[in-house]
Amino acid sequence: MPINWGFWMDPFREFDRLQQELDRLMEMTRPFVPIRSVATGTFPVINIGETNDNILVYIFAPGVDLEKIDLSIEGNLLSISGERDASKALKVEKVEPERFYRQERFSGRFTRVVSLPESIDPNQVEASYQNGIIKVKIAKKEEKKPRRIQVKAN
Amino acid sequence: MAEQETKELATREEKVPAARKERPMVPPVDIYEIAEGLIVVADMPGVSKEKVDVRIEENVLEIRGEIDDLPGEEVSPLYAELTGKEYYRAFTIGPEFDLDKVEASMEAGCLRIFLPKVESEKPRKIEIKVA
Repeated sequence: MPINWGFWMDPFREFDRLQQELDRLMEMTRPFVPIRSVATGTFPVINIGETNDNILVYIFAPGVDLEKIDLSIEGNLLSISGERDASKALKVEKVEPERFYRQERFSGRFTRVVSLPESIDPNQVEASYQNGIIKVKIAKKEEKKPRRIQVKAN
Repeated sequence: MAEQETKELATREEKVPAARKERPMVPPVDIYEIAEGLIVVADMPGVSKEKVDVRIEENVLEIRGEIDDLPGEEVSPLYAELTGKEYYRAFTIGPEFDLDKVEASMEAGCLRIFLPKVESEKPRKIEIKVA
């Protein structure tokens, strides 16, 4: 016989909330940081993806001045360096450090280097900036592109 | 009777929403006070003006954003430091701000929110008279 609760109550919802709360606490203290994970505060964060013809690098760099960004490729190493002035986004005339309640956004100089697969062609690179993400598209060498092999039936 | 009970359970299963949703990312923020109010800047790379949602409910400021233009199916990930596509953060706001005049703007992945102070809460300059 189903019991009539009057309204639908999920008995596991509270556990779920508890788990979330614990996860959040663990994240704050971080006793165990996996060696492969990026340290908190790394700037910029980078993701790399691959299509049949290209390697795509997504550099998460919100609010940077493109004039101060230096992106270069050497062999299969892509490096990005530059400077970000986080206080520029405040849009105040003069920034006084004592007026900050919280300062979590990265500010200052940075350099990062990532190694890309050997199959890239460093001469065919395009980069664009949109919504705070620098997207770098690097073509693969023609001879390194995956080819489909037709299986013939005898 | 037994058959009826299993049926009942099955329908309940469907009712349970997808509770195990991916936890949204927490954007880093700068909070800065000026005489006229408070400026909050949040880094939300990948979020466009259309996909950002700033709302105030009672005394809580909620910031939500969704990464626009995610790579399509044809892109297979090789390396990822950032996973997730949503941002969320909330702040409790004191009574000294005029919540009807909050301004928000989005530029190159940075969200800037300005919370103006209520007129009576603004600092006043006190003139010191020389006797």
